[in-house]
Amino acid sequence: MNSTPYAIEMLNITKRFPGIVANDNVTIQLKHGEIHALLGENGAGKSTLMSVLFGMYQAEEGVIKKNGEVVKINSPNDANDLGIGMVHQHFKMVECFSVLDNIILGVEDTKYGFLQRDKAREKVMALSERYGLKVDPDAIIEDISVGMQQRTEILKMLYRDNEILIFDEPTAVLTPQEIEELLQIMRNLAAEGKSILFITHKLNEIMAVADRCSVLRKGKYMGTVDVKDCDRAQLSRMMVGRDVEFAVQKDPAKPTDVVLEVKDLCMASKRGKRNSVNGVSFQVRAGEIVCIAGIEGNGQSELVYGITGLEDVLSGSVTFCGQDITNAPIRKRSLMGMSHIPEDRHKHGLVLDYTLEDNMVLQRYFEPEFTTKSGILRRGNIRTYAEQLIEQFDVRSGQGPITMTRSMSGGNQQRAIISREIGRDPKLLIAVQPTRGIDVGAIEYIHKQIVAQRDAGKAVLLVSLELDEVMTVSDRILVMYEGEIVGELDPKTSTVEELGLYMAGAKKEGAQ
Amino acid sequence: MKKEKTPLIRQDGFQTLLSSLVCVLGGLIIGYIVLLLIEPSGAFGAITAIMKSFFRYPGKMMLKYFGQTLVRTVPLLMCSLSVLFAYKVGMFNIGVAGQYVAGACGCLYAALAWKLPWLPCLLIGMVAAGLLGAISGLLKTKCNVNVVISGIMLNWITLYLTNLILGKVKSPNSPYTLELRGNNPGALLPRMGLDKLFNNEKSVTIAIPLAVIIAVAIWFVLNKTKFGYELKATGHNYHAARYAGMKENWNIIVTMFIAGALAGLGAGMLFLTGIENWETTTSSVPAMGFNGIAVAFLGGLSPIGSILSSFFIQYITFGGGNVDLQVYSSQISSLISSLIIYLCAFVGFFKFFIQGRIRKKDEKLAAGAAEKREGGDAK
Amino acid sequence: MILLLQYTIIFASVLMLVALGGCFSERSGVINIGLEGTMVIGALGGALVMKYLPVSAGAFAMVALTVLASALLGMLFSLFLAVAAISFKADQTIIGTAMNMLATAGATVAVKAMNTIASGGNDVSSDIAYTHTKDLFIVRLGEFEFNWFMLIAFVCLIISYVALYKTRFGLRLRSCGEHPQASASVGINVFKMRYAGVLISGLLAGLGGIVYITAGVSVWKFEYGVAGFGFLAMAVMIFGAWHPLRIALAALLFGFLRALGNVYSGFDFMLALNIPGVVYNMLPYIISLVVLAFTSKKSRAPKAAGLIYDKGSR
Repeated sequence: MNSTPYAIEMLNITKRFPGIVANDNVTIQLKHGEIHALLGENGAGKSTLMSVLFGMYQAEEGVIKKNGEVVKINSPNDANDLGIGMVHQHFKMVECFSVLDNIILGVEDTKYGFLQRDKAREKVMALSERYGLKVDPDAIIEDISVGMQQRTEILKMLYRDNEILIFDEPTAVLTPQEIEELLQIMRNLAAEGKSILFITHKLNEIMAVADRCSVLRKGKYMGTVDVKDCDRAQLSRMMVGRDVEFAVQKDPAKPTDVVLEVKDLCMASKRGKRNSVNGVSFQVRAGEIVCIAGIEGNGQSELVYGITGLEDVLSGSVTFCGQDITNAPIRKRSLMGMSHIPEDRHKHGLVLDYTLEDNMVLQRYFEPEFTTKSGILRRGNIRTYAEQLIEQFDVRSGQGPITMTRSMSGGNQQRAIISREIGRDPKLLIAVQPTRGIDVGAIEYIHKQIVAQRDAGKAVLLVSLELDEVMTVSDRILVMYEGEIVGELDPKTSTVEELGLYMAGAKKEGAQ
Repeated sequence: MKKEKTPLIRQDGFQTLLSSLVCVLGGLIIGYIVLLLIEPSGAFGAITAIMKSFFRYPGKMMLKYFGQTLVRTVPLLMCSLSVLFAYKVGMFNIGVAGQYVAGACGCLYAALAWKLPWLPCLLIGMVAAGLLGAISGLLKTKCNVNVVISGIMLNWITLYLTNLILGKVKSPNSPYTLELRGNNPGALLPRMGLDKLFNNEKSVTIAIPLAVIIAVAIWFVLNKTKFGYELKATGHNYHAARYAGMKENWNIIVTMFIAGALAGLGAGMLFLTGIENWETTTSSVPAMGFNGIAVAFLGGLSPIGSILSSFFIQYITFGGGNVDLQVYSSQISSLISSLIIYLCAFVGFFKFFIQGRIRKKDEKLAAGAAEKREGGDAK
Repeated sequence: MILLLQYTIIFASVLMLVALGGCFSERSGVINIGLEGTMVIGALGGALVMKYLPVSAGAFAMVALTVLASALLGMLFSLFLAVAAISFKADQTIIGTAMNMLATAGATVAVKAMNTIASGGNDVSSDIAYTHTKDLFIVRLGEFEFNWFMLIAFVCLIISYVALYKTRFGLRLRSCGEHPQASASVGINVFKMRYAGVLISGLLAGLGGIVYITAGVSVWKFEYGVAGFGFLAMAVMIFGAWHPLRIALAALLFGFLRALGNVYSGFDFMLALNIPGVVYNMLPYIISLVVLAFTSKKSRAPKAAGLIYDKGSR
């Protein structure tokens, strides 16, 4: 047997990038046959650490040991040779290849240079049966469900006879049933002697499957604990460094007039025949925060595209302040007082190669305040306006208004967007995952701003995937599942468990 | 906020200039090596001839050739403006070559078949080329056709079409179109006495100052106006432009129309001087457009930079005709300019290299400062 | 009629070779706009062998050496693209444009220099003649002139198809053009695969170059480059949806149109149609553009083609 209980050890790893230390003296020891969770917030350095282990980055300091012997991992090939495999957060698969081709890519069996697909197929099918990983080897990746894509990724590791399996945030894109299935698969794998590193920031998943848990905070190692000896509160304290105040201070809502009314809205789907949004109707009143909850990919994004005009609607209507805006141009909606904090701040929210001040007037540059009648920009006014917002919302950047937005931190980019959208004094604020990828301090700030908007008599439509956010910030919760609204909940009278059931599609209001 | 003066090496403009100079130098050195390989004894004389260009001629002749060089700089400048303008909305306008041809076709046909005066001819050429550009823009926005691919296809379609159309106004005993001077002098661009400055070189017209004015106007539009703000936003991030309620697709089409029109105008500004006629058996797309791409990148994608770089390229092209043709060929200058473009593709890398050096220096300084601070903070 | 068939096949061979070249390059993730220039350089290499190798060397040596020289020079020239676009992450469109200009200018300067030196300054043209050696490439089957290049092109087609779809190399190459980060994560060296893709494209385009200039004539003026055949091959590649077998069909169609443009005056009924020759030249481009307009919404182009691969990006 092995002389050491550890399959893999990463000792005193330090990895620097220009300007930041992503991992600062981090140590992780993975035992044979255990499920070891790696916990940390977004940006805590979990993914970097795993990329070091997987050979995609090289650490400046520290050593990696396998079965007690020092090893060098300079490329994914080395990692593979050592039996280390990884399911990446964003799947690394060629979308137009078949499941089988994706599994064998990189470790193809050949005869005179020709691929031996039949032999590979047999092996894949055997593995698939042994671990309960159902896949169709000839299906094309872009046609199959996210769950099957993930099973393909797992099969990729097993096909390579990997002993050490890394799962990088594997549950983010799954439905609750799929998550439960995945956790069961992980238990099976561990029982078969595989050692698993499980990266996550979801405490309940750790409690459910992990044996031990190591915690990272801002690149630093916070320690390793036995999961059975601790509770959620303890773990979360280790993760964020203090007790998190989950509750947001706010008074009960005083809703008044209807600001936004969505009726029987249907949106076409990019893939598949089902509509991504199917007959959704709801209202948002001034002075209330309505939250659309649901698991990623259940039509929330498309619903927002329909309301904001980023994509054309299939049928149904959208009424804003009494006017039908179903097919109105985006500019008109914006001028009528619709603000939109978009889901993807880099894709929609900012022109990264523009300065901060130019981004601050992204929807207002043409107004007389910023442009003369002859079409020339009033640079001075733009500067003043940007400086105002920067000060009011404490947006931090290297050179103030003339900073290139690309060089700003994610949190401050988000602050810039929020300041811009709130600064426009909207009637309706649509905030889609406004706290995604933001550190805890900023999250509280953003929640306070949203509540402040409500108290100022604005209507707020919040779209969120985070259960805590949904429960604490909103006044009303609408749960979306497979493109439909399956339930309306009052956060004061319902529980997270109840919400979870709706999100999973296990409960439906009409069926009660 | 205190304004600090940025050191020269840290300024983007200076880095671009430096990179462009390195490209030019690299092109000349390789060109010289080629000359040496062909015949070492005359190589130095040849490269001097290229570099001296029209300056090697005595006074009056020099002025005349200087004028001719300027006349040919104009279309090159206009083509490069076309390329850089489209580039700002994120479109690589390789179709500039075809747009230039369309411009030539429009203005020459209007001048020779319809006998129109110069202004309508110029406008017809502009619109023809502009529409061609707009087709590329339309194909991009409506059908998602890559602009480079549609540009290449349209280049050849336009070339063959132009040969066909201008074949109707060609001189009976040569493949060239009829002489403007003899057939419709009214279509020649006005000179307004400018020719007097260049030893009565008849091809020197208002096109030269006009091109410079247009370059400055393009700079102004891009940097100072609402339209420029929208265009650049669309180019940097198409989705954000849509999110902000700009008419992103319309902007792309309009930009491509303007880009095409600029190239077409450039063609008109050359062919309506009477210095050149269209050869109706032309079997490949004229290099003018592609040179425009070179000039735009050599000029650091700035309209003002383009004025300088277009003149430089035309300057050495003229110089290429001065080499001893019994030993070398005049294409040596095309070789040099194509080498320069090739090297221009490395400008990004070169700037990245300079910035990397600066950053390393900064980090060292910052690390030093941090150590000091930590030392001070230690209890 | 036989003449039409013969021209169709030889033009189709050219287009197919070059388009397959483009296909290899794009499948690996690099757009090769420099195909036109690569053809010129390949043609130059082959033409020189044909000019200087004596007829007495025999048909086999002649064909083999000509093919070798064209392919080798084409590959060398494509290094211009590979080094700049893959190692230095330069813009592929600028590089391609520069290569096209560079090839024509370079070939002209070189040929003129050779002619000038050989003739002591009397001949300053950019022509290379290969009148007598050309016959070694041709086997007469009745009226039909079978050209060995036709067979070579056909063999290249088969090899390309098998290499891309049946071998480890092909699977890896294609993955680099679709999702290079995924390829890297399973240990494939993306840089190496892309170099391979571009070099193969140079090989095939160089070969296409020599086939083109020997197709109809026995003297070539290098100032003319290859008159847009490289770009036409790009159209073939797009029309063929980056797939070798479809490329072969597209090449036949476009080759036919080109051949019509060359020989239509030999048919009375075609003359009666009174369509100018340039229309046949234009048609392939128009067809590809129309096809593109209808199919680009869901393009089958390799997803990562033209995108710079950076190890850091994920």
